[in-house]
Amino acid sequence: MKTANNIWLRISGIAIITLITLIFTMVMGVSMGSSQKDLYAFVNAVRGNDPTLLSIIWQIRFPRVLLAAFVGATLSLGGLVFQALLRNPLAEPYILGISGGAAIGGIIGILINLSRFPGVCATAFIGSMATLALVFIFSSGQTALAKDSLLLSGVILNAFCAAVIMFLVSIVQDSRLHSIIFWLMGDLSHTDLKHVGYISILLIPCFLYIFTMSHPMNLLLMGKDLAHSMGIRVKATSITLLIVSSFMISVTVSYCGLIGFVGLVMPHLLRMLLGSDHRILVPSCVFAGGAYMVLCDLLARTLAKSGEMSVGVITAMIGAPLFIYLLKRSRT
Amino acid sequence: MKYFNSIIIFLCILGAPLLNARLLVDQLGRDINIPDNPKRVIALAPSITEIIYAIGQEHRLVGVTQFSDYPPQASSLPKVGSYIHLDLERIIALKPDLCIAVKDGNPHEVALRVESFHIPLYAVDPRNLEAVMETIIEIGKLLNAQKEASILADTMKKRIQKITSKTQNIQKRPRVFFQIGISPIVSVGTHTFIHELIELSGGTNLTKGDVPYPRYTKEQVISLSPDVFIITSMARQTIFENVKKEWQQWQSIPAVRNDRIHLVNSNLFDRAAPRLVDGLELLLELIHPSIWKTVMEPTP
Repeated sequence: MKTANNIWLRISGIAIITLITLIFTMVMGVSMGSSQKDLYAFVNAVRGNDPTLLSIIWQIRFPRVLLAAFVGATLSLGGLVFQALLRNPLAEPYILGISGGAAIGGIIGILINLSRFPGVCATAFIGSMATLALVFIFSSGQTALAKDSLLLSGVILNAFCAAVIMFLVSIVQDSRLHSIIFWLMGDLSHTDLKHVGYISILLIPCFLYIFTMSHPMNLLLMGKDLAHSMGIRVKATSITLLIVSSFMISVTVSYCGLIGFVGLVMPHLLRMLLGSDHRILVPSCVFAGGAYMVLCDLLARTLAKSGEMSVGVITAMIGAPLFIYLLKRSRT
Repeated sequence: MKYFNSIIIFLCILGAPLLNARLLVDQLGRDINIPDNPKRVIALAPSITEIIYAIGQEHRLVGVTQFSDYPPQASSLPKVGSYIHLDLERIIALKPDLCIAVKDGNPHEVALRVESFHIPLYAVDPRNLEAVMETIIEIGKLLNAQKEASILADTMKKRIQKITSKTQNIQKRPRVFFQIGISPIVSVGTHTFIHELIELSGGTNLTKGDVPYPRYTKEQVISLSPDVFIITSMARQTIFENVKKEWQQWQSIPAVRNDRIHLVNSNLFDRAAPRLVDGLELLLELIHPSIWKTVMEPTP
């Protein structure tokens, strides 16, 4: 009983620390932007002395920071679930073909001149769900190799999708090409508080569901037989988890394009820091993943002297070296 | 009395927006409330910046886009992103009282969000030289510079007429290949400024057609055997030299045989701005050098 109390204490302690980090980065996120980097001006605006800056903070930066937090949380959590279920450290949220399918859908949406929301988001979502279904169909019926065939079908479908994407990009000859490129690089700039609201309605239940499954995930990691003997319905649990996390990843990818590396870096980083108990990892992935993304987005908005960089570029540029550093450190 | 008061208040409310604003219809047919005397204008494309400078209203400009480099002093104005990737936050932070946008290029979502901050956004959509001159007149109206704008448009019209009067009935129209992309080779279709300028200056655009920016292979270009080769390049002279050298292997192309491969500044041809007429005169010089001499001679 005492150990049970301890673990809940630890879970809530770490959750609170990561949540505070997230809130802190979110405040930082709204305090700076492409038009103003001076914190004094921010304080002045919060006091009500600068209505223009205040409306920028509430109507432009706040929805964007909130969206970044949700995207970071989803991608990190998605990576965590996939790495656990597929028992492959290289698994990332897009590994089951979601990114390729969403990209094809999104590009088709842009090509037929749909509006960004809901048009392009809907086609991207349909695309990612279609590839996901294909991956499951391709890999079904081979129970012994189920895990590997899932991975392989995902990788192959993504490769096929990449070819289709290149084909689509090469036939476009006008300004839509720019929309496509920005979409492929990951773009958080067209955000609206209402849209973030819709997205959160879809995402939060997924987060909660995955948190309730964190103990079964621990058991699954110890091996199917053990999990089975502990009363877990292995197949049903794994498939529901895969579907729920794929669903939430599709939602974010459809809305803001492909943002790489977050789902790979954050789960590994947190696992090194906090151990492998998913009851701790799930909430910390949500909050710390969100915080990481908010910071990357802040850099994307403020680093470039004119215009802004794509957040996907920043996550990859920070993520890859960070990942290698972590790998080196964990070996020594 | 009670009624009288409320009627007065009602009239005031009705009249308030009319006191220092006017309703204009932009080129997309939308009604826009424009301040009588806009003092903080953002030009959301390099072409708009050029027009505003050309009608002498640059004192109203508070922001431009990334590649607004003409006239050179425009580059020192605050930037609000590039025209295809606008930075909404910078636009709002500059507190504009009018934004002038282009339909082809500026993202629709950003335009809508600018309007959600109650900033009037006037959109223009010039597709040919005639429309560019209309656009200049309209921007003159927006910025209380009708006179300057109509003088500018008249001068442009006269310069164009001077050229077309000599070229419109010309029999021998050199066949022009206008290359705007190096790799892949990209040319221009019928619905572009460049096509219009080639035809007005007495040439034939070899790549006319519905596709605005068609791609070509080397093989296709060689079989088209153009009389004049014009390459616009945002790139440097050395790249042009290389491209020219490559084409020079094909002596069967008349343009190569007669050394009629030319490099021109792309900004003269792809911006819906007064400098299109400079582009037209340049094309005349390259396509019909002899006519160009008679046109450009000062009339006695």
